[in-house]
Amino acid sequence: MGFVSTKELLTIRNLRTSFRIKDTFYPAVDDVSLTLRKNEILAIVGESGCGKSTLATSIVGLHNSIHTKVEGEILYNNQNLANLTEVQFNKLRGNDIGFIFQDPLSALNPLMRIGEQIAEGLIYHTKLNKKQREARVLELLEQVGISNASRVANQFPHQLSGGMRQRVMIAIALSGKPAIIVADEPTTALDVTIQAQILDLLKSLQDEIQSGIILITHDLGVVAEIADRVAVMYAGEIIEEAPVIELFRNPKHPYTRSLLNSIPQTHSENEKLEIIQGMVPSLMKLPREGCRFSSRVPWLDESVHEKNPKLHEVGPGHLVRCTCWQHFYFEDKEGSVNG
Amino acid sequence: MANKNKKTVENFKSESSPPTGIQVVLREFKKDKLAMFSFLGIIALMVAVFVIASWIIDKEAVMKINLIERFTEPGVSGYILGADEAGRDMFGQLIIGAKNSLLIAIAITILANVVGITLGIIMGYYGGFIDNFFMRIIDFFITLPTLMIIIVVVTIVPKYGITELIFIIAAFQWMSTARLVRSKALSEARRDYISASKTMGTSDFAIMFKGLLPNLSSLLIVEVTLNFAGNVGIETGLSFLGFGLPPSTPSLGTLISYAMNPIILSSKWWIWLPASILILVLMLGINYVGQALRRSADAKQRLG
Repeated sequence: MGFVSTKELLTIRNLRTSFRIKDTFYPAVDDVSLTLRKNEILAIVGESGCGKSTLATSIVGLHNSIHTKVEGEILYNNQNLANLTEVQFNKLRGNDIGFIFQDPLSALNPLMRIGEQIAEGLIYHTKLNKKQREARVLELLEQVGISNASRVANQFPHQLSGGMRQRVMIAIALSGKPAIIVADEPTTALDVTIQAQILDLLKSLQDEIQSGIILITHDLGVVAEIADRVAVMYAGEIIEEAPVIELFRNPKHPYTRSLLNSIPQTHSENEKLEIIQGMVPSLMKLPREGCRFSSRVPWLDESVHEKNPKLHEVGPGHLVRCTCWQHFYFEDKEGSVNG
Repeated sequence: MANKNKKTVENFKSESSPPTGIQVVLREFKKDKLAMFSFLGIIALMVAVFVIASWIIDKEAVMKINLIERFTEPGVSGYILGADEAGRDMFGQLIIGAKNSLLIAIAITILANVVGITLGIIMGYYGGFIDNFFMRIIDFFITLPTLMIIIVVVTIVPKYGITELIFIIAAFQWMSTARLVRSKALSEARRDYISASKTMGTSDFAIMFKGLLPNLSSLLIVEVTLNFAGNVGIETGLSFLGFGLPPSTPSLGTLISYAMNPIILSSKWWIWLPASILILVLMLGINYVGQALRRSADAKQRLG
């Protein structure tokens, strides 16, 4: 694990991203505060519909200002990204912030050659001429582990394999040597062996360019492997935040513990897959007060939840929302507090 | 290094890969002999018309009135296709007319489609208010009786020639393209690769015309081809009705409109028939080509 600087690179304060549904704005990301430091991998985990991707796209400003409201502060270099205009944002995107998409096939333009797509960012952010750009493209392709770079640069996305496409995506994100890389589930669309390669690649490249990575994922295996710090999101809120080792050794919030509990264990004799009851409440039906997780732990007494759950510091860098974790037990193991 | 790169490129070419772009179109044309024939025919016809009309025929000589040679039959005294009521050479008029008609159709197609595609992409890309605003304008234009307005404008405008006609017709031709492009651009612009381009700091303009436009090309090629066939027809129709070009400027439409005279229609066939056949052949041919292109753009309909 590389040296994580203490300097804050990106500070998110009270970020609220709301979508308009029939003239009412419903927050999908609600009051999220996070910091990202240099050379750090911050993982954001949570199940589908928790607002992870919305958080990611808010950082790079991909939201349509008519249908989506982004409030709060996303501070980078004394600039609040939440208030930038498109033109101002275009100076940052691709240069200071790189974005890696989930599905590389749909995120690559099917009718542009790989080389052109990687060069796209270079055209807008550097003064390199065509020859120099071509050289840089080949360099980038080799950097992400593509062996015959000159051939691949002339190919179209459909001619590449899934792993190669994701490598190309990473090359595109890296083209401007960004200080921040936002990776939105970069390994979800890939098979397991390729996942490991891509993660290794991401990690080694990070060591090289010392950027901070925000890694959005729902795969706790990925988190354990490369993250430095983890924030667990549930229903638009961060419910637990801790250094990775602390989170896996000492999970506090019922949701985190349920998530960890539901990882299938190959050596376990228990054939039943552990699940979390119910599902994430939809955006419009989300309770706006009280503990948002309470509907999924109905066996707990109402009184264990806070009225207005806040993040409480329970250890160095370890934050937990609500007080219900102190009283939580798994339903089928009634009475045992440790689960 | 350069040599080695060249080699790898060549190696790659020998590998099998699914047919792309032009290969699909070629296969489709090989399967569809009629489309192939039409395509080659139209190209040959257009080249011939432009070459003969521009360099071989003297326009002044063709349009000179010579009443002695009035209604000369085809083949007599050097008139390949005979002469009209003013003794003007019909073959020369046919070629010049075809050139004018084709030029007008090409100009209208380019003008209307440039406007339509640009607007369509902007509407589809931005969506929301901009989309709504322009769609209402298009709705308004579509409800207008195009032919009536063109006829009125033609009557009002005092100096009136090929350029004016092109602009007037084009003004009523861009809406369908704009609507079609918009509908495809709407779905295409919501794809991840457009967002990916945004995350690279690419400006909206560059995304629209360098990223999005090529992805609409299969649709556009078909649309433009079929539009072209339609535009040949529109110009001809207007001229036939007497609202197109003045008689001093021959076009296929003005030639066909001679058939409005019953005597010419019944006994002087050489004056109107060649132009009619040329129009028929042109429009059929362009349509066959357009259909072959449409099939190659849609994998479900392909023959090849």
